[in-house]
Amino acid sequence: MQLSSSTRRFGAAAGVVAAVALALTACAGGGNSGAHDAAKPAASAAPVSNGASQVKVTLSGDSGDTCALDHASAKAGPVTFTIHNTSSTAITEVELLQGQRIIGEKENLAPGLAPVKLTLTLGGGSYTVYCPGADAEEQKFTVTGKAAGQADGSVQTVLAEGTKGYGTYVAGVLADMVTAVGNLNSAVQSGNIDEAKKEYALARPFYEKVESDVDGFVLPGHDATDNSGNLDYLVDMRQSNLDPAVGWHGFHAVERDLWQNGAITDQTKQYASELNTNVTTLADLAKGLSYKPEDLANGAAGLLEEVQTNKISGEEESYSHIDLVDVAANVEGAEQAFAYLQPGLTKIDPDLTTTVQGQFDKVTALLDGYRDPSLAGGYVDYTPQLKQTDASKISLAVQALQEPLSKIAEKVATAG
Amino acid sequence: MSSPTPDEKGVSRRSLLFGGAAAASGLVVGAAGGVGGAYAAGLHSAEPTDEGQDVLDLSAEHAFYGEAEQAGIRTSQQRYCVYMTFDMSSPLARDLQVLLARWSGAIAQLMKGKTIGQVEPNRVDGIGVDTGEALDLAPAGLTVTVGLGAKLFTDQYGLAAKKPTLMRELKALPSDAMKPELSGGDLSLQACADDPQVAYHAIRDLARMAKGTAATRWTVMGFGRASAGKGQSTPRNLMGYKDGTRNLKEDVDFDKFVWVKDSGPAWSQGGSYQVVRKIQMNIENWDADRVSDQNAVFGREKQAGAPLSGGHEFTTPDFHATGADGTPKISPTSHVALAAHENNGGIKILRRGYNYTDGLNQYGLLDAGLLFISYQNDPAHFETIQAKLGSSDRLNEYISHIGSGIFFVPAAPKQGHYLAEGLFA
Repeated sequence: MQLSSSTRRFGAAAGVVAAVALALTACAGGGNSGAHDAAKPAASAAPVSNGASQVKVTLSGDSGDTCALDHASAKAGPVTFTIHNTSSTAITEVELLQGQRIIGEKENLAPGLAPVKLTLTLGGGSYTVYCPGADAEEQKFTVTGKAAGQADGSVQTVLAEGTKGYGTYVAGVLADMVTAVGNLNSAVQSGNIDEAKKEYALARPFYEKVESDVDGFVLPGHDATDNSGNLDYLVDMRQSNLDPAVGWHGFHAVERDLWQNGAITDQTKQYASELNTNVTTLADLAKGLSYKPEDLANGAAGLLEEVQTNKISGEEESYSHIDLVDVAANVEGAEQAFAYLQPGLTKIDPDLTTTVQGQFDKVTALLDGYRDPSLAGGYVDYTPQLKQTDASKISLAVQALQEPLSKIAEKVATAG
Repeated sequence: MSSPTPDEKGVSRRSLLFGGAAAASGLVVGAAGGVGGAYAAGLHSAEPTDEGQDVLDLSAEHAFYGEAEQAGIRTSQQRYCVYMTFDMSSPLARDLQVLLARWSGAIAQLMKGKTIGQVEPNRVDGIGVDTGEALDLAPAGLTVTVGLGAKLFTDQYGLAAKKPTLMRELKALPSDAMKPELSGGDLSLQACADDPQVAYHAIRDLARMAKGTAATRWTVMGFGRASAGKGQSTPRNLMGYKDGTRNLKEDVDFDKFVWVKDSGPAWSQGGSYQVVRKIQMNIENWDADRVSDQNAVFGREKQAGAPLSGGHEFTTPDFHATGADGTPKISPTSHVALAAHENNGGIKILRRGYNYTDGLNQYGLLDAGLLFISYQNDPAHFETIQAKLGSSDRLNEYISHIGSGIFFVPAAPKQGHYLAEGLFA
């Protein structure tokens, strides 16, 4: 292993390909797991026990960092990889790839921990055992027998179904947003400030649930660098990202007038009316969106970044202090994206799926403690006092979720 | 001490060797020819034999695995240190076990100057395992020392029976002004190196690895060495005084005062108790004090470091010497007198402190002080000394203990194993 990662690239392991050439001609002998050079897998197919082919993967740092298979081929069907890190500090995960796609993987393989098992149902074909950090990172693994497209296709099919379901979710949220902003607009036009405040809190969550999917739209005829045509700016700009050339617009312009100025002026009505038009345009434009699995994962990560950068600081809702309403919406949106990936992700990496779900549960439980059904947004105000005492608690809980969640995108990516 | 083969070190690694701060005796200015020379100097100069040598060799590296204590205790003290503590956020012993195993593997890599994984992932949408800011930097003598807090050895984690014999929270001591947000923790990391970015990178990546199992609690960045190890020149604390002149340095004292050797759990043998204190200094007041008074406060001459009873820096202080007026030359309430082993039943502790600064405080005053770290085989040894200092030290007018922690530092794991493995057996 070198200081630079540049040597750790696909296709760099020419030596491994040669070493495995022997295994490609393997006959289906089975059962012979006698002693042999640890670096070279046996020529025979992996023995079957408990209904699954048994392959041992040993990670060692004794002479360089090696990732050794005891068998480089198996019969189609269930295959159990038993992975044991005896002494390698450089290798902490092992993945089974088909092409560039991850079929299954195990992480946290630190030296000294007990061996872990990864069981997958594999159809005939060519696979790669990928051990990032090993001197030879890639080992070929051949499965003989029926090329059961099912094992290959099922994860992708399930993930694709998930993205469709998520698309429907986003469309529903945006439709609700149009309705809620319509109500806000009506309240503002009627001049009823209490009603308008209530409708503001009710309208806010929708954009925050799906923001990372819809924050890239530009009005026709505008340049992407021009905030006067940037729908995200026009809908959700804050004082902290105010572009003086374009000025105040959208939700937070209305918020400022309602809470700080305590008055609805003609200008406020203009803000609300324009917001109503813009969210309708946004919802129309979003109808053209389609999603890849990694878009859901990256979108979820983006929503949690929103929590950390704008909400924990209390900057997002600096006049109304309903930041916790936004936090809950960001988290719900992220959890929905994750939930739609979950059936496919579980097949790829059940441990990661469990970890992420566990951290979502912790964050949700923490946020539940701030619920207040008597308020329009459903959560207590994020006052300076509350921020002082609880900001780090919320931030740390979200950090603990961000870290495992950030690993999902590459697992479910269909590109390559 | 590790003994990697020369080709493993790689010729691309920066190898700098130069003299450090001017030491009174024997300054080594290296101009080693080529990598091999620097490499050899690095490994062996970590424990120079002559008093007062101060060699900075960024290619130096220490071994994480071994048969004795963790690196970063007896190790010749590096120039920079980042210290961080964590609270367990998981109630599961299994999560603690996996974290210690993952930290062990990662620390072993980091101490070799390597990444802990890919910086630039192969796949689209991949996140980096290693954050990358230490790429191309030398190992810089990095050591990362892991400590375990008292709360881990409770029924909550099913580890109560494995508690090191003397592990407990520290008693409240005179003059304690502890802030909860700067105190305590269930895990500690002490990352010291001769390149601050190498130390910070280690802490950052290990903190990231902990997420979900442990959450960050408090941290101090030590920017300057404030204690001397064996053979090192004596550095100065931010009060301008030499610190560590009488530090514990000899192996016989390590065996007697630092390493745990008792009838307690087998896994705890060879470990040590780490006490850490964040000691804030009232810098501006100190600077306005006449130096004759500063000398009286410490019991030493500021520049030379000699005890006020006479001699040079390493002359043993004579606490009975009196001046013409009959008063002790070294005040009984001076820092040196109160801390001396002669006046504490022979007790010695290993100090491994660093100067820190947090910038300016809300009143525009310099916010700085000493990150005091000590190692001892009985927490009571620290308490005995600090109880005396806290109640009568003339220095108390200028300092305040605002943060505190105690951690058990287990012995180093052997190759193929991980820290505190015996805790989970």
